[in-house]
Amino acid sequence: MKIAVCAKQIPDPANAVSYNNGKIARPEEQVLDDTDRYGIEVALQLKEKFDAEVTVISMGKLGTQKGIQQALQMGADKALVIEDESLENANALMTSNVLSGIAKIAEADIVIFGTESSDGYSGVVPQQVSRYMNLPCISYVKGIDIDEETVLTRQTITGSEKVVMPAQCVISVTASGVEPRYPNFKDIMAAKSKVVEPVEISSIEFNAEQNQEFVEIKSVSSDKSGEKHVDEGDAFNLIIEKLKEIKAI
Amino acid sequence: MKSLIIGEVSNGSLSSGTLEIISKLNSEGVDFSVITIGSEQDPQIGSDAFENTYLQLNPDELSLSVVADEINEVINTNSVELVLASSTYVGRDIVGFLSVDQNSSPVSNVIDFTIDNSSLTTTNSIDGGESEYITKITSNVKILIIRPKSFEPADIELNTNFTSKTIDKNELTSPVHDIFIEEKTGPQLEDSKIVISAGRGMVDVENLKLIEDLATKLNAAIGGTRAIVDAGWMPYSQQVGQTGKTVKPDVYIACGISGATQHQVGMKDSKYIIAINKDEEAPIFQIADLGVVGDTLSVIPKLVENL
Repeated sequence: MKIAVCAKQIPDPANAVSYNNGKIARPEEQVLDDTDRYGIEVALQLKEKFDAEVTVISMGKLGTQKGIQQALQMGADKALVIEDESLENANALMTSNVLSGIAKIAEADIVIFGTESSDGYSGVVPQQVSRYMNLPCISYVKGIDIDEETVLTRQTITGSEKVVMPAQCVISVTASGVEPRYPNFKDIMAAKSKVVEPVEISSIEFNAEQNQEFVEIKSVSSDKSGEKHVDEGDAFNLIIEKLKEIKAI
Repeated sequence: MKSLIIGEVSNGSLSSGTLEIISKLNSEGVDFSVITIGSEQDPQIGSDAFENTYLQLNPDELSLSVVADEINEVINTNSVELVLASSTYVGRDIVGFLSVDQNSSPVSNVIDFTIDNSSLTTTNSIDGGESEYITKITSNVKILIIRPKSFEPADIELNTNFTSKTIDKNELTSPVHDIFIEEKTGPQLEDSKIVISAGRGMVDVENLKLIEDLATKLNAAIGGTRAIVDAGWMPYSQQVGQTGKTVKPDVYIACGISGATQHQVGMKDSKYIIAINKDEEAPIFQIADLGVVGDTLSVIPKLVENL
């Protein structure tokens, strides 16, 4: 079994997102999107059971590659990465066109994603990749039971349902259900010798187009001029009075 | 601009997200038809005002890629220029598949859009609602995923005037088993008048009991931040924010929530916001109507006791 798992490098979410002419400003040092840790964890659990090979796939500005290293430190075997000027500010379709191309190069049977990235949050890339690869898409997976067969639990609007994982498919994983592992010192050292291989865009069948033209960013004035009180043991009274005043109770 | 809405069924009627898109297109004076996806029997989703085709799914199969094939054919046959879906699990799946067939990247999380002849501009909310990101869509077929609660739902009479079609399986269809319907007791996040949300400031999962007590007293729905959903304290279905649900209740009570922009996006349009947080610099206070700087763990029990 071969698994490709997406790892997106994003600006440190501790800082506010800044834009440069409509594009998210990307510093040299970006970190692994937390969302992807869940997908990587699922990939590693499958690796342990089926002795699978796990390839990290990533698109975007490489910089110091900190985020890629973080994915390898968790236990992935190698990485295939692509950075190309023409992909700067790529839309969701361009992104999934490229990622499906890389997943094919990795000869992946199973391709795993988080449900949506924390910076772009389009939330459609896993589905698009499955379409490009003509594979079943098992989306919004929130639990995995690996036994003789692997059973995936999907989040649905009314509750949940279970699907036996097909031999070849694309999976998107929600941010709950599995506990992403933390690498120890040995894992961190081991990651240093893992191969990070660049992919050329010319090696991918690429036909998606940019269809979104940036117009402007408008600031929306927030007109809240709320009151703030320090609790001295009686703030509950204030809340109850307000709830009565606005006729909520 | 010839338009097609990808609608959904909820409790025998059109979902609120679908009704919101209908109301927006009505106000823009756009001609549209609807294709509604669902597995319910005999829903009331038809109208004399627009054409609706019901694509009925087998609940025991994951077959949305077949649905996408069907919709793709309708778009091509009727030269549809604008396709709109609500940002739900089903909507995002179908649009994802469809966008590859149409070679047109969808715009996600759209909160507003304007149509001017054949030109379409979309608005996204960024910086936790402090800014709006405006984009012009240049492809012939334009596909939008609309954030729920962006428009008022249309108030229309629904009937049984629609066409039905059953969806078969194909080689990409996966069988589904152990379908679990979450018990819907008490008020639901999307339509409750009061929402109480918990964040990291609740310190321990055990303390969510306090939130439950308060919710019972106020007949409120319970939500949470991504941080506590990730920590496994609450199911994903209760997450409020950018990657969770959008709520617009009359009253939103944020308990121990710092108010990251990703959370604010999902709740800032609530009519009255009460925030309780120890940290007086917490960003949540910038959007709160009433801010209490204090320990939620001591404020909530007193509230419960005195309500």
